[in-house]
Amino acid sequence: MPSVSSRLTGGAAVLLLATGLLSFPGLAPNPYVLSAGIVVLHYAVLATSWNFVGGFTGYLSLGHGALAGLGGYGTGLLVTKAGLNSFVALALAMLLVSALAVPIGMAALRVRGASFVIVSIALVLILLLVFQSWASLTGGSRGLVVPRPFDLSRPEHHRVFWFLFSGLLALALLAWWLIDRSRFGLGLKAIREDEDKAEALGTPTFAYKLVVFVVSAAFTALAGGLYALWFGDLDPVFQFSVLTGSYLVLMALLGGVRNLFGPLVGALVVGVALEYFKVEFGNTPLHLVATGVLLALVVLFMPDGVLPAAGSLLRRLRPAGEQASIRDVTAAELRERRRAEEVRR
Amino acid sequence: MASEIELVDIQAGYGRAAPVLRGFSVAVPAGSVVCLVGPNGAGKSTVLKVAAGLLRPRSGRLLVGGRDVTGLSPQRMLAAGVALVLQGHSVFREMTVAENVRLGGYTLTDQKRLAERVDFVKGLFPVVAERWGALAGLLSGGQQKQVEFARSLMVDPRVVLLDEPSMGLDPKATSTVFAQVRRMRDAGTAVLLVEQNARRALETADLGCVLDLGRVHLAGPAADLLADPQLGELYLGGRPGEKRPAAQEG
Repeated sequence: MPSVSSRLTGGAAVLLLATGLLSFPGLAPNPYVLSAGIVVLHYAVLATSWNFVGGFTGYLSLGHGALAGLGGYGTGLLVTKAGLNSFVALALAMLLVSALAVPIGMAALRVRGASFVIVSIALVLILLLVFQSWASLTGGSRGLVVPRPFDLSRPEHHRVFWFLFSGLLALALLAWWLIDRSRFGLGLKAIREDEDKAEALGTPTFAYKLVVFVVSAAFTALAGGLYALWFGDLDPVFQFSVLTGSYLVLMALLGGVRNLFGPLVGALVVGVALEYFKVEFGNTPLHLVATGVLLALVVLFMPDGVLPAAGSLLRRLRPAGEQASIRDVTAAELRERRRAEEVRR
Repeated sequence: MASEIELVDIQAGYGRAAPVLRGFSVAVPAGSVVCLVGPNGAGKSTVLKVAAGLLRPRSGRLLVGGRDVTGLSPQRMLAAGVALVLQGHSVFREMTVAENVRLGGYTLTDQKRLAERVDFVKGLFPVVAERWGALAGLLSGGQQKQVEFARSLMVDPRVVLLDEPSMGLDPKATSTVFAQVRRMRDAGTAVLLVEQNARRALETADLGCVLDLGRVHLAGPAADLLADPQLGELYLGGRPGEKRPAAQEG
């Protein structure tokens, strides 16, 4: 059971997040800042969705960009070709992507480690080829224009979508939190630590991985579909990009994959940095170099992410009598202690 | 006394290589510890793999509670009441003791039963109750082994298979671990124990079985085996009945 201090910290984090989400549209000085905020919020939803698979099972997927792209194109095509209401199309696209995630997951989740990463990259590249080549349906390289769901001014359009993305983020966080505390979550975390051992103890590992992959795909598709309705223009090169998946991994690792708010914090840092680099340096590969450097720094100095590192720092600053329970020790601290123990021996 | 688990005339091996077990048989009665000893390569760990369903025997029968369970998967063996505690440390190091123990009862869906089992293992292994919220990786080797024992008992197994429980432990921790093995036995569980520390294991066990080249070389009450001059010379590194200082044990 969580300690009183961790409950208080959690409650404060939820309050801070809710305040930030509700007040940002009013504080944004212009529509550009609000639209940049939506891009960051979109990343936050995607990274949190990615963290259902990455955080719980330890399977690093670089293919989540493809699931978001499928959600976006699914929504766009159902609106433009089938004439469905935008939000009915969004829900239907989510269901279709979830259904498609079953055979994709069944194939991809049979392999582990680097092989899974490669399979996930292959998914993105195959879908990029399909959506570029099938121009009669998808518009190919010309892209697909998705009509706006509301007849609103540009600032109002942004404001409405800010709250829609906020609602989706809250839903994804709630789902992650519920799973984290469930028997299902316990099984998933055992898979992350040692899949064979978890299986030997009776955890249906493959079924669990598949279910959480489908849940992750559903949220990712919703984020992709909502983005399509907000942005209104889809291009296969950007929708089916390995870079998107890489950004999501970076965001989640940066914030901390074992923490509910980790991917959100990572999305804030990386999303804001990406926007900054694009605005300051234009269409140069500098933002990619900066992203690479950031990833290297995180892996070297904060392997568990910013939030666990900050928590650990806070605990060190506390007087000895007020130190938290042994449960709050991070995996990095655990490794450090083990190394020290081995050196002593 | 009826056997909880019985391996009958087992032939087993890996791939197409020659069999490791060549007609091996052993029976473990309820509430007793049976210890398998023997030199390296004798097939001790292979016996446990067969008993846990990790290795399908080429021939022979595996009976649990009198029911033929030959060839069942590890999960179904667990459901049949056979729990395996692996060699070395097999706790989930970055999960709490509580999470580790609850994972042991993962197949239990009845929450009341789960709570009862948790209370039972906490009573049997005080260290589990004391370090309930701690990360398992921070416990000492002996404490981790007790968490593994507790985890294995969560499903209330008929049989616990222990593969070298004293491996890598200091003498004090080894003593604690063997004391806990006796407590499991006293709680009614049948224990099949494989151990390199033959003398210590036979002191704990009720029955012993010396394995050599995949066959039973000697079998009988553990105390008799300990006193057997042939066994003392061959496997226990000294004369029968000769007591070694505790520091040399473990």
